[in-house]
Amino acid sequence: MFEINELILKKAKELGFGDVVVLAYEQNRRQVRFANNEITVAKNWHTQRVELFVEYQKRLASTTLTALDEETIEKSLQALMKSVKNLAPKEDYYGIAEGPFEYRDIPETFDKAIVELDEPNEYVEAAINAALEEGAKRTAGVLYTDHNKLYLTTSNGVEAFDEGTGIEISIRAFIGDEESGHGTNSVRVLKKFDPESAGRKAGEIAKMAVNPVQGEAGTFDVIFDPLAFANLMSYMSFMSSAFAVEAGFSFLVGKLGQKVANEGVTIKDIGNMPNAYGTRKFDDEGVPTKETTIIENGVLKTYLLNTSFAKKYNTETTANAGLLMPHAWNVYLSPGDYSKEELFSEVKRGIYITNVWYTRFQNYVTGDFSTIPRDGAFLIENGEIVKPIRNIRVSDNLQHILESIAALGKDLYHIHWWEVDTPVFTPYVLVKDVGITRATK
Amino acid sequence: MHELVEFAVEKAQELGASYAEARFEEKNGTEIVMKNGNPEGLGILADRGIGIRVLVNGGMGFASTNVLTKESVEEAVKKAVKLAKAAAKLRNKPIQFSEEDFHQVFYEVKMKKDFRNVSAEEKMEYLKLIEESVKETGVNTPMRFLRYGDFMWHKVFMNNEGALVESLIPRVSITYNLVVFEDGQMEQAPFVQRAFSGGLELIEKDKPWEWAVKDVKALQKLIKEGQKPPEGKVDLVLAPEVVGIAVHESVGHPYELDRIMGREAAQAGESFVKPEMLGERIGSEAVTVIEDPTIQNSWGFYLYDDEGVKARPRYLIREGIINEFLMNREYAAYLGMKSNAAARALNYNREPIVRMANTYLAPGDYSFEELIEDVKLGVYMVSFNEWNIDDRRYQQRYIGREAYLIENGEIKHPVRRPILEITTKGLWSSVDAVGKEVEFYPGTCGKGEPSQGVPVWMGGAHARLRDVVLRR
Repeated sequence: MFEINELILKKAKELGFGDVVVLAYEQNRRQVRFANNEITVAKNWHTQRVELFVEYQKRLASTTLTALDEETIEKSLQALMKSVKNLAPKEDYYGIAEGPFEYRDIPETFDKAIVELDEPNEYVEAAINAALEEGAKRTAGVLYTDHNKLYLTTSNGVEAFDEGTGIEISIRAFIGDEESGHGTNSVRVLKKFDPESAGRKAGEIAKMAVNPVQGEAGTFDVIFDPLAFANLMSYMSFMSSAFAVEAGFSFLVGKLGQKVANEGVTIKDIGNMPNAYGTRKFDDEGVPTKETTIIENGVLKTYLLNTSFAKKYNTETTANAGLLMPHAWNVYLSPGDYSKEELFSEVKRGIYITNVWYTRFQNYVTGDFSTIPRDGAFLIENGEIVKPIRNIRVSDNLQHILESIAALGKDLYHIHWWEVDTPVFTPYVLVKDVGITRATK
Repeated sequence: MHELVEFAVEKAQELGASYAEARFEEKNGTEIVMKNGNPEGLGILADRGIGIRVLVNGGMGFASTNVLTKESVEEAVKKAVKLAKAAAKLRNKPIQFSEEDFHQVFYEVKMKKDFRNVSAEEKMEYLKLIEESVKETGVNTPMRFLRYGDFMWHKVFMNNEGALVESLIPRVSITYNLVVFEDGQMEQAPFVQRAFSGGLELIEKDKPWEWAVKDVKALQKLIKEGQKPPEGKVDLVLAPEVVGIAVHESVGHPYELDRIMGREAAQAGESFVKPEMLGERIGSEAVTVIEDPTIQNSWGFYLYDDEGVKARPRYLIREGIINEFLMNREYAAYLGMKSNAAARALNYNREPIVRMANTYLAPGDYSFEELIEDVKLGVYMVSFNEWNIDDRRYQQRYIGREAYLIENGEIKHPVRRPILEITTKGLWSSVDAVGKEVEFYPGTCGKGEPSQGVPVWMGGAHARLRDVVLRR
């Protein structure tokens, strides 16, 4: 693919473009979906594409090429130049990273065994059976295997290659209509894959959730399961992007250096984390990925940046390009020192929420939002789960949630599924005084 | 492209598929983003490929490729067949499709002002017009995110049962996020979209810049004059934008038969509705909800679905009674029925699944004045920001963005963030009157895994709800 990248780069420079980034992908992805304990569909995707970013005198344009013959390449570049030439410039554009860079292999990001895996259905069966053994009546979910190759060439001397694999499962177990639990497992190497643990957790929670009663509205201390808190962290990561901050999609606007979370809270983005689903060797401009502390002991340290944003703000890139929109790779909420039992014992009267979905904001800039618990939710009294509850809503403010984190579990869980697009590492989290509402008619 | 599509269908049958379909899709378009007055960049959309779906031994397989050679398509067909065979082993009963009448047909949506003949520079003028119009209001709007998008969506669908459907549907849209900051307070109109199937004449007629002006002025008024909404039991008049999200979330989604039968259980969830609830009352007699893909120039427009079935209006609720579900061929077959053409795929690399298109509350016979005049104490909710619903589609909430107090039949000052948090039956049973005029608002409906955000319209007439509890 590098020959094609080189060709595109050469032609783009000949046409007069300044910064040029050519990012080619070759992807093989497989999916097995199941519901009611049977496979509903199995899929395979083969994708070959080149994402192209060009700059002409501070005018930016991008496109995706799927046909890679010389004629298509030339035509596309000419069309880009024609379109972009007469546009007004982006005055706050400051260029792409200056290469070349050195890249290190990141452990546990590639496994030949996943590439060679002929038939993953046994893992689906293992997860389903584990859930059924715990007492579930029916299960639904999805399994993926991934094999990606990435070729990056830029006009600033970058030529970089990365190859990665992954396998993951997400399973939801049901007993009745309103009695369910959810478990996930996402890894990059086959020997660490544990579909049974996902099925077991889903089944266990479903069983605990039998015969739920209507939950009450009020203010409660809440223990968020990693699955539930990962959802909020995923939104938090989007709001950490300098782009989201400028565009009015973030409560972090104007708060650099300020306290936005409890002092026990440290949130990072770790682009080079072993065995993490979002890990890559380099960002979209070729800067080696790294660990970036977004919030340190409660204080907002940085937004996620690419080179252009970094220069605009007079600082260094955090290696999170996205050429237009910086984004997180793997969000990491630093663990605390509570065991799960100790965390529960902190709660006199509260709620354990195992999963949430449909997080929506009334106002991104203030952070006011609500999200809906799904799967098992439980009333806690004096550190003990006393009964399952249903039909409640978390109605609060994201910064208030971060400020009210009272304790963090010591074990981290890697969460990546349909509701959590950006992979998240999070422990169990205890948050004080969370607003809970319910339907009134 | 027809040859490659035909080749895929034939090859799949050769390899043992009892059912085979191939769908070529091509999207070509433009995206322009402007942030706080700066042009962020121009995106040229150029995507195409083929997706193949098969049934073998009652198992379903799907594979896609964007390498459009015979070899690559053959490889994809082989994979789809192999996956289907393996999947069949983990099934309790074989998948079957409903019997349908198929057609060989071409259709297209014509543009009066064809966006393919208009320069990016000219398209950016629409965004500049929003910038300037907002500026002229004098309302302090420090954060402005604007997006223009157009694309031509070309599809060729073929199956082994005689369907051949080719379509060309252009789509245009403008989206904005505007943050108003006045008197130390921030209010926001996020992800507001105007969107159509057709040419630029539709954007020019709709004038999104006027919508933006209306929004920032309403937010300024809310900051300066807004008061707390009344609490407790009041009447509530919902404008078409809010009615639209409510019919979409609490009528459209729970009536998707694949969801009802558990296929989406691990993602978008299931439904409080069960197959045996057809014919049951869910709302007052004033409530009729229609789902209609065939509305001209609508954002959710199509005439044939992605299984080649001819589209028609579906009456989900008729005078308060659950009347019809949304179905594709697989799920219609489970009930011994015919598909009502609800199968949609976002792209060549997605399977067709049960989706909405344009969902609305059918008009009644009240004028707007009549709806308002005998409300003693209530709220008129014009638009919303935050909304969500549980994954059985029974517990929902909508928070007003622009909303006003109604007192003794008159609309008064703005009210801040009235919260309607209510069950589906509670909502639709409370409707006692519906307005005469229907309006539509665009959205991107999310469902499926991998996610398939498809264009939809949502809307309807104004609805008046009696005795609902508002929270603030």
